[in-house]
Amino acid sequence: MATNNSPDDHDAVLQRIADRNPSRLGVGRAGSRPKTRTLLEFRSDHGVARDAVQSHVSDELVESMGLFPIQTLVEDKDDYLARPDKGREISDETAALLRTECKQAPQVQVIVADGLSSTAIERNIPDLLPILTDGLDQRGLDVGTPIFVRYGRVDVMDAIGEELDAECCLILIGERPGLATAESLSAYMVYGPKRGTPTAKKTVISNIHAGGLPPVEAGAEIADLIAEMCAKQASGLDLTADDREFAK
Amino acid sequence: MGANSTPTNASTTLTSVGIDVGTTTTHVVVSELAVDTAGGTGTEKLTISDRTVRFRGPVHETPLIDPETVDTDAVAELIATDLATAGVSPDAIDTGAVIVTGETARTVNAEPLVHTLADESGNFVVATAGAALEAILAGQGSGAAAHAVDSQVTVANVDVGGGTTNTAIFDADGVVETRCLDVGGRLVAVADGRLTKLAEPARLLSEAHGLGLSVGDPVDPEQLSALTTAMASLVVDSLLGPPYHQLTVELSIGSLPTEPQPLDCIVFTGGVGRLVGESRDATAQTEPFAYNDLGPLLAAALAEAAADAGLSVRRLAEELRATVIGAGTYTTQLSGRTVFIDADLLPLRNLPVIATGSLAEVDDGQLTAPLSRGLSQATRRYDLHDVGGVVIAVDDVGDLSYDRLRAVADAFAAVLGDSNLNEIPVVVVTQQNCAKALGQLLHARCADRPLIVIDELAVETGAYLDIGEPITHGETVPVVVKTLVFGS
Repeated sequence: MATNNSPDDHDAVLQRIADRNPSRLGVGRAGSRPKTRTLLEFRSDHGVARDAVQSHVSDELVESMGLFPIQTLVEDKDDYLARPDKGREISDETAALLRTECKQAPQVQVIVADGLSSTAIERNIPDLLPILTDGLDQRGLDVGTPIFVRYGRVDVMDAIGEELDAECCLILIGERPGLATAESLSAYMVYGPKRGTPTAKKTVISNIHAGGLPPVEAGAEIADLIAEMCAKQASGLDLTADDREFAK
Repeated sequence: MGANSTPTNASTTLTSVGIDVGTTTTHVVVSELAVDTAGGTGTEKLTISDRTVRFRGPVHETPLIDPETVDTDAVAELIATDLATAGVSPDAIDTGAVIVTGETARTVNAEPLVHTLADESGNFVVATAGAALEAILAGQGSGAAAHAVDSQVTVANVDVGGGTTNTAIFDADGVVETRCLDVGGRLVAVADGRLTKLAEPARLLSEAHGLGLSVGDPVDPEQLSALTTAMASLVVDSLLGPPYHQLTVELSIGSLPTEPQPLDCIVFTGGVGRLVGESRDATAQTEPFAYNDLGPLLAAALAEAAADAGLSVRRLAEELRATVIGAGTYTTQLSGRTVFIDADLLPLRNLPVIATGSLAEVDDGQLTAPLSRGLSQATRRYDLHDVGGVVIAVDDVGDLSYDRLRAVADAFAAVLGDSNLNEIPVVVVTQQNCAKALGQLLHARCADRPLIVIDELAVETGAYLDIGEPITHGETVPVVVKTLVFGS
């Protein structure tokens, strides 16, 4: 009787384990080095990750999603990687532009930012943004002019939200790519955005991509969360503080 | 619809009851189920991470008024007494299941019995029945399913009770199939040295083997031994086939699989099954009729038949109470974490499931056809006003894009709008993680109808679904996928 425990089936067991795990398991070796195929796959995945960081979100996407484009104080990709502080701030001119071109004092300000993966924006925003907008509309929330920020860091939402006097702010931002996926997106949310708001006041949904939380489901989930934030006038730990206990 | 904003590691504990009313015996167990996230980044499914049995009730003889009727009041009293001994009031019980098994499921009052017990035993205790479900629960309760995963092997859990033998085969990915037979220790009863009961399957076997048994005969251990040898060979035949012996096919419950399944080991559970590992020396020889039935003889015959067939028999910790522990700890699942729920509609009980199959290959414009077929199938099979709702299960909606989900929602809205079921709760179940998005899109199209969308669950036509009230801040709902098969 053939059984899974016979020596012939060790390959099948290893395959089963490898199939359930994104790590590079059971890839073998050539002497002390990886096999050519493994090395090429690794380099290819690394290349995809580098591309996600180095590439730009296309103007077509920004336009087709109806986003108002702005840029942080960062000048180029090298500057972006070297100066996180500049990725959190906008110029006075940009602030002035926001005040003339965008809806003022919205309940919800939606921001899309390239962050560390333009690929994440290209892949996820077309499915996420429409259902999010539907969801916010259905809940009767007043939504501002959606904005695209080039060279943005998470906390640029504090600056933009403060300038526009938004009640709450959402930023959809490309995550630092890994070797398993380069298209993971995160959604950070804050109630009452002000420059310098600590991270503890922010709520996040991460791992949004086809292999994680599907972007369309994430859109509906974010709409729900924002409605809750507006109702409770809180975000981050303030939203959940009452059912958590911390060791003193 | 409020969701918790950030991932919490705050775990929740559910108190779960399992009640098994079988052909011969009735048991109660009380367990604690720990609900937890699998990881930590916020979107993982909540799962039942730990199951601890807190109370194992004594084994009661199932009280009968006559062979066709269970004494409902006496059963209810046994259960109430056991719960009192356990120190658990029905109000404190969050979930669980009542299962009627074996021949009891064929008694005239099995159906009202199981529903009544379920209603009286706790907040979200569900009614279940069916040999295949029992087989699976027994394998989960015994630890056979976990052994298959841990050791990456294929295991058959053979639950041999008073009226039926229910086999579930597990491998590392879960349930492979079930194989159930009308073979059990209480098909023949003896008292004062005479046969007092010869159930139909036993009569059939007696005839086929020329044993000529009939009620009232004096007990002839050799004849009864021959009968149990015949029973055991059918059980082994059902494990090894196809091909199957003609009698195996005649005594099978439901259909038998059409492909053989190589097995690494088998586990015997149930009142008779637990005797298999001990049978060679003890009871079968010294006191073959200690239980006034064929149990010890059948167990001895099974041990011999399994050995002759070269099947490797393994013993696990839970043999006697496998089914009831399975019912108490494995029936409740949790839906995906992002769901679309109208909590006012919950709990919903005993909703029939209609599965549409995969829609992945269906073009956007053609989606109404399979959905409307599913719904008319539901209205043909069930009076939906009577059953109080319907579950429409969609295995695969296709690409999880905004446009595709909109097309699916349009089709659902059109089909539901055309039906005269506006007041009937409809539960849409998907396997993909898209319940919140689909729920939002559907709500925009038919806001007035009672609607629930839950995801990351696999259910098939013919199954029934119970959905409990939301737990963990409304993030998830307890769900029981089950069968309700009464009669033969």
